[in-house]
Amino acid sequence: MIAIEGVSKRFDAARDRRHLALNDVTLSVAEGEFVSILGPSGCGKSTLLYIVGGFVEPTAGRVLVKDVPVRGPGPDRGPVFQEFALFPWKTVLGNVMYGLQQGGVPRAEALARSRELLTMVRLSAYENFYPKELSGGMKQRVAIARTLAYRPNILLMDEPFGALDAHTRTGLQNDLLHIWDKDRKTVLFVTHSVEEAVFLSDRVVMMSSAPGRIKQIFDIDLPRPRSRAELLLDRRFQDYVVEIEKMFDDTAQQAPA
Amino acid sequence: MTRLTSIPGLPPLLACLGILVVWELLARWYGLNGLPPASQALPQIPHILSDKESLIDMGESLRRMAIGYGLALLIAVPIGLWMGRSRYAAAFFNPLMMVIYPVPKAALMPIIMLWLGVGDASKTLVIFLGVTLPLIYHSYQGSRAVEEKLLWSASAMGLGGFARLWRVVLPAALPEILVGCKTGLVLALITMVTSEMIARQAGIGNIVFVSLDLGAYDTVYAMIVIIGMLGILFDVGFEVLRRRLVGWADSPHTIMVGSA
Repeated sequence: MIAIEGVSKRFDAARDRRHLALNDVTLSVAEGEFVSILGPSGCGKSTLLYIVGGFVEPTAGRVLVKDVPVRGPGPDRGPVFQEFALFPWKTVLGNVMYGLQQGGVPRAEALARSRELLTMVRLSAYENFYPKELSGGMKQRVAIARTLAYRPNILLMDEPFGALDAHTRTGLQNDLLHIWDKDRKTVLFVTHSVEEAVFLSDRVVMMSSAPGRIKQIFDIDLPRPRSRAELLLDRRFQDYVVEIEKMFDDTAQQAPA
Repeated sequence: MTRLTSIPGLPPLLACLGILVVWELLARWYGLNGLPPASQALPQIPHILSDKESLIDMGESLRRMAIGYGLALLIAVPIGLWMGRSRYAAAFFNPLMMVIYPVPKAALMPIIMLWLGVGDASKTLVIFLGVTLPLIYHSYQGSRAVEEKLLWSASAMGLGGFARLWRVVLPAALPEILVGCKTGLVLALITMVTSEMIARQAGIGNIVFVSLDLGAYDTVYAMIVIIGMLGILFDVGFEVLRRRLVGWADSPHTIMVGSA
């Protein structure tokens, strides 16, 4: 589904200040797979996601989606950002409908689909609210609904729950898994929370920083559908978290602070 | 006092009354020709506002102001938005703005009069110039500050470059653009009056100066009060419009208006 082939990214802040954010990253993601990219801050994990999204061009290498090279953003890859990036001048409903109307879906149909999605993220009662009137968790649920609305095959999630408090965060993780279980889209999920990565993913890709490269890939062999309450008691879940966290600590220590 | 200040409209009303009282007392105290008391100047206002000729004059002024302002909107906002999104456009227009911004637009009036004469065109052009720069500046700042991820979200939905400028950058920058519009509105009023003082022919500024020459000081003061009231009227009207247009945004920062 997604093939990342030898992707490198260098940022030239000035002639003498070059920063190699990603160095020769190769990864393939199967259709319907939930893959988390985990790493210390500054390891280029978000940059990698932006390159798959077509928002940022790689310095070297390429990304193929369904065997077609990525040349720019497209509605087959739907982003969800940590900053929510909702259109503040649109209501909740207007935000969710935006992509559908852009894609030429008739208004009545767009309205029906948007309302259905808002019900799914439990925000039906808020369709006429503006983003500034919502809490962080609600904003992110709107953003997820807005992206799901235009039916991307791939979800690109850039630390989507990073700006939320712990309680809201676990709530949204459950919501996301619940939604994902319905149609099993391919998901690339960037996070710096080990527990979050293990809870959600089929595979966890651990990156090291400066320059960012893949350090190790963990297969998370836990049954689905997953429930947080059960997994927390599950020995295998605990082992994954401890093992990955240990490696994460080693990686972070090697990185320049 | 907190109870008094919480009544809407009361504090500014009290301030106005205060000024009138001070004016009246000073005028009576000094008894100067050039400073008639408020009680003498203010009654001129209804006279002026019921005089057909001065109404035509004022209408002319406002028409020029509207045209100059409208043209500035049409030209400045797209340039500003473009500058905020293109490094090349910013590199081209920024130095130009730096040079033109501190020049008092009224100081250009003699040159403009040389080219275009003393008629409508010169005055409208000066108003246009006065309004253009703050509008470009604020549109530029607003456009530059648009969150990159808003644009990314839009491009993932399939919006192309122009559609993003029109349907994402413009609305996202609108609160800041309106700050420029508000500054521009005051500047338009100022440049309108000054242009008519320099190229005296017709208009509000002309009434002020002709009255001054005739020694009709109460009319001069009455006209200044009328101009001030026009300013307040525009400001209130603009606030109503702003709240309707960008009620979705957080409240804007307070605006300081420079002189022109």
